[in-house]
Amino acid sequence: MAVKSVILPANEIPRQWYNILADIKMNPPLGPDGNPVKPEDLAPVFPMNIIEQEVSSQRWIDIPEPVLDVLAIWRPAPLTRADRLEKALGTPARIYFKYEGASPPGSHKPNTAVPQAYYNKVFGIENMTTETGAGQWGSALSFACALFGLTCKVFMVRISFDQKPYRKAMMETWGGKCIASPSTDTQAGRDALSRDPDTPGSLGIAISEAIEAAVSDPSGKTRYSLGSVLNHVMLHQTIIGLEAQKQMAMINEYPDIIIGCAGGGSNFAGLAFPFVQDKINGRQIEIYPVEPKACPTLTRAPFGYDHGDTARYTPLLPMHSLGHTFVPAPIHAGGLRYHGMAPAVSQLAHEGLITPKAVSQTEAFKAGILWARTEGVIPAPETTNALAQVIKEAELAKQEGKEKVIVFNFSGHGLLDLTGYEKYLAGGLSDFALSDEEMDKSTAVMANFPKPQDLKSTK
Amino acid sequence: MKSICEDISKLERRCPRLGGPVTFSYCRIAVENQNACFKIFDCWWERFDVVDYLQHQLSKEAFNHLRKMQPPDKTTTLVDLIRQAQQRTKS
Repeated sequence: MAVKSVILPANEIPRQWYNILADIKMNPPLGPDGNPVKPEDLAPVFPMNIIEQEVSSQRWIDIPEPVLDVLAIWRPAPLTRADRLEKALGTPARIYFKYEGASPPGSHKPNTAVPQAYYNKVFGIENMTTETGAGQWGSALSFACALFGLTCKVFMVRISFDQKPYRKAMMETWGGKCIASPSTDTQAGRDALSRDPDTPGSLGIAISEAIEAAVSDPSGKTRYSLGSVLNHVMLHQTIIGLEAQKQMAMINEYPDIIIGCAGGGSNFAGLAFPFVQDKINGRQIEIYPVEPKACPTLTRAPFGYDHGDTARYTPLLPMHSLGHTFVPAPIHAGGLRYHGMAPAVSQLAHEGLITPKAVSQTEAFKAGILWARTEGVIPAPETTNALAQVIKEAELAKQEGKEKVIVFNFSGHGLLDLTGYEKYLAGGLSDFALSDEEMDKSTAVMANFPKPQDLKSTK
Repeated sequence: MKSICEDISKLERRCPRLGGPVTFSYCRIAVENQNACFKIFDCWWERFDVVDYLQHQLSKEAFNHLRKMQPPDKTTTLVDLIRQAQQRTKS
């Protein structure tokens, strides 16, 4: 029987996080007044020990023993060879993945939830708040708070609260209190409900509630937490890549390509940042954050080309009549969309150290299905973006006849997010097209549809 | 005749920000004050011509505002929300 996984011995677990801010320059974040944000500006919501990490330029930061004790429940995470996928693709590439789905909440999120809960505890905090959409982050924080004896209040966007009873159950099993946002617990929630009692909620309202709950606690013992984007979150996630480096060394391998899906950027950063350090120090390696393909008729972000691709951007084809298949024009979008991406990840893309890639929804679903039917684990929907790019690279390696080494981050399993697969398999993701005549007729129908108001600029 | 707009409003997909299924009608009002989500074009363009649809539905000003929309830096947002929360708590 061939060895499938590289298991890092428990005593080899990394004991320091890698801080990429030591090796790249970034503009300081600006406050709404246009001036650089000061640590005290964040003190109402974060403990100072976390704020220090947020702004630190120290290259290596010790991982506290109590944090390692909890991470040891599932770490070091295995580095596994996807040999069954390789065989299915007929590729000479060697594909490895870090499996982050073995954590109790089922994703990479607790890699930062656990240290955040710890640092808050050490600082004297007793209660934590956060917002969550469908519950993945709320679950991770509830789990972490349970292990450090903190209370956890999660404001869950109402539309998701109604759809995801199992995520709510997870949070509550771990002692978290999950409430639908907007709620009557905060002024922000009450204001939203007074405007529309039937509102489905939004992330904006949920985050406002979570922050208000932290800021308004008269005891001063409540703080807020978030699961992506910020520097300290990226820092905590680097345990993924640091483990991977050790595991690759154990089998005398080194990646030619690193791949991770990039939403807020934390799981990508976790795997990639330690390898970015290698690249900065002269190592040849391609590093790809993968996003969904961007809308081609909007020019809000720079477009590039896939390597070797000479396809041109074309306008969208005229719409077909109702019921016919709508075919998007061929488009190759490069350049991170900068839509809520971690600044550190955006900076690396700007400097050319990482190369953004984009995949379509269909490519992603197909990749997820193929993975499930070869390697077994049903991937989380966001993980399928990375898988789609892995398959593209493996097929390219096959065309080129090259034994490329591909390492990617399997950010989580999808066992609580099967709705998308259900719809895909039932053909529910079919395209919807309108003729110009039908579009004109619809205008009158939409006359009373709410029109958006101009947003207040925060810059 | 079946309402085209009702059909479009009921189209569903997974929201990458929430992590769960939403209808297009939710994406139209997903931000406070009934504003559309900044990802609406990127999320829906593969399913139907959302750009053309919204050009028909929105005023020119509103459409141009939406197409240029980018979320502000997270830290900037946090500081702003902290100040708003402190104001609400005082009052």
